[in-house]
Amino acid sequence: MSDNASSCEHEAAVPLQVAGITKWYGKERALTDVSFDMRRGEILGVIGPNGSGKTTLLETVAGLLPADAGCILWQLSPLPRERRRNVIFYLPDGLRPWDDQHVIHVLEFFASAFGKGFADLGKATRSVGLEQVLVKRICTLSKGYARRLMLALALLTPHPVVLMDEPFDGFDIRQTREVMALMHDVAARGRMFTLAIHQLSDAERVCDRFILLAEGRICGIGTLNDLRALTGQPTAGLEDLFLALT
Amino acid sequence: MRSPETETIRRPSLQALLSKEVREILSGRALWTMLLLLCPLVGYSFFQAVALYGEASAAARDQPVLASSLSPLDGILVPTFGAFYVAVTLLFPFVAIRALAREKETGTLKLLVQLPYQIRTLIVGKLAAIGVAWLIGIFPVVTALFLWSSFGGHLNPLETANLILGHLLYGFLIGAIALFAAAISDNSATAAIVTLAFTIGSWVLDFALAGQAGALGWISRLSLTQALHTFEQGLLSAALVFGICAAIAGFATLAGVWLHPGVSLRDKVVRAFIYAVVTAGLLAVVTQLRTSTDVAEDQRNSFPAADQKALAALNKPLIITVHLAPEDPRYVDLQRNVLSKLERAVPNVTIRLATAGQSVVGSASEVSYGEIEYSYGGRTVKSRSTSHREALPLVYGLAGVAIPAPQVGQDYPGYPLVADGWIALPWFFVALPLLITGAWWLSRRVPRIPAQFVKYGGQT
Repeated sequence: MSDNASSCEHEAAVPLQVAGITKWYGKERALTDVSFDMRRGEILGVIGPNGSGKTTLLETVAGLLPADAGCILWQLSPLPRERRRNVIFYLPDGLRPWDDQHVIHVLEFFASAFGKGFADLGKATRSVGLEQVLVKRICTLSKGYARRLMLALALLTPHPVVLMDEPFDGFDIRQTREVMALMHDVAARGRMFTLAIHQLSDAERVCDRFILLAEGRICGIGTLNDLRALTGQPTAGLEDLFLALT
Repeated sequence: MRSPETETIRRPSLQALLSKEVREILSGRALWTMLLLLCPLVGYSFFQAVALYGEASAAARDQPVLASSLSPLDGILVPTFGAFYVAVTLLFPFVAIRALAREKETGTLKLLVQLPYQIRTLIVGKLAAIGVAWLIGIFPVVTALFLWSSFGGHLNPLETANLILGHLLYGFLIGAIALFAAAISDNSATAAIVTLAFTIGSWVLDFALAGQAGALGWISRLSLTQALHTFEQGLLSAALVFGICAAIAGFATLAGVWLHPGVSLRDKVVRAFIYAVVTAGLLAVVTQLRTSTDVAEDQRNSFPAADQKALAALNKPLIITVHLAPEDPRYVDLQRNVLSKLERAVPNVTIRLATAGQSVVGSASEVSYGEIEYSYGGRTVKSRSTSHREALPLVYGLAGVAIPAPQVGQDYPGYPLVADGWIALPWFFVALPLLITGAWWLSRRVPRIPAQFVKYGGQT
């Protein structure tokens, strides 16, 4: 196989690479030399305790926060901050966007912004089960429905990479299962998800690979089996692996 | 590889953005509260203005000279719009701030800046929504104008439109300042303080630096309230219109600089400084424009037509040296009656204030204090009069031009009207607030699901 062909295959399988991201808040270092890649069709989990830098990492990768060092590569080419919103979409944690407006209006706005029609809008609404609350104001939604709305917005975006901060917070067990199934379905069609999750049991069920983050540094990265091999604990769960590596 | 899907987001719907912004303004309580407060403010001002105008008209009934001084612009429009000005200065910032501050506070801005709109498009969308809010806000004033017309009152279309234009520009300026304040602040309260620092700071400038010369005088001209005075005098000035537009663009651009995601604070400060310098340069250039039109029906900003024509023909530089302190009432008279009109009428005129930086107390003991020197074509003449009736013959004498004969039949007749404005009270204190409350209720109703959405199974 030639070098060119090998490069193309790598480009297709690993379209997004995060290289050496470092981020300071004043004199405090929030991220230290964080590097990882994202593979087509996978769900990547960023695991770490509160304050470990998960949100900062997602916002820096999305281009919402300036990085002090490092770069993002998209298909082996640098992806400058200004162009990241063409590739990456980030959904913050606990957000109720335009909370005085009705659900249908916010969905319509997002669909129109991305050139989507009523067919896509209807599909996104159905897939997250928002039909019953379309005429409600967003501020009156339950936490679970607010999460579903965010998920519907994510489905309306055409971006190949979606970053989500605590996507399962507020869902009950049944809803969590439904949303996980939906994510797997969407990822199977080529989109990439990176989820910042602090519930390790949720992460273990939905993610294909994991990034273990502690104090802004990557302590481990890989599939569950990779992490087991790394720690020498062949039957350990994610919780044990996380404790062993951090 | 470029995802084909990313191609579709290059031309996002502007109508969707504008609808979202307008809905955001309408869904907040600030606009409706301002509207409800505007009703008694505008209503009482209008009622008082009609009553006072009626009293003056009654006195002028048998005296045409008195009648000619009765202009609805001064008597009705300016006082009625005055209440609107107070509301736009003190209340409108809270409406405008909501257009951005709410999104910042809730974190929604993080979503908005990821949508396929340029930052400048987002800012223009917000300014457009602020414009819609202003249009809704002016509704009580418009009803006052209709009431005045229904009383048989006279409204000159040009001077009315000019005044509305002035208030529109002022509203947009306040809106742009509010957007800038919201962009640099973390919450609505701080943004409100920053905006009110501009608006109330203008009042302080007016009080503290009025009549000052030199640098202090220049600073006093930055007052936002000064911007409206020219329009209230029936003057449409290119320098003022373009100056306000430049200031609006400057504040909007600065707001945009602060919204760019992922840019460090240092870079934002540098960019903001560059744009502020560019805006200041633009302001300096446009304020040099001398084109203006006297749209007042009584032509108060111009000399009589024959004099305007004769003065326009003076082709040499006219230099006027004034030996009066800026705060001296005689200087104010001279400025209003002679200097500002000469600046508009004579193609090449230079006015020098010989006592710049001095006070009345410090300069009054000088022998030359109070003199006004007119120099034209190498000849100089002095006067102490502040009236154009004495000043113009001096100028004509210097230029060797015959004093033009006054044109008859061009005098402003005045529009006296004794009207009973009582009907304004139930309208502004009962009917209009009820209408506004009804509109508010309608804006809160449950939206209709689009038929196409139901067709595609979006709702069961």
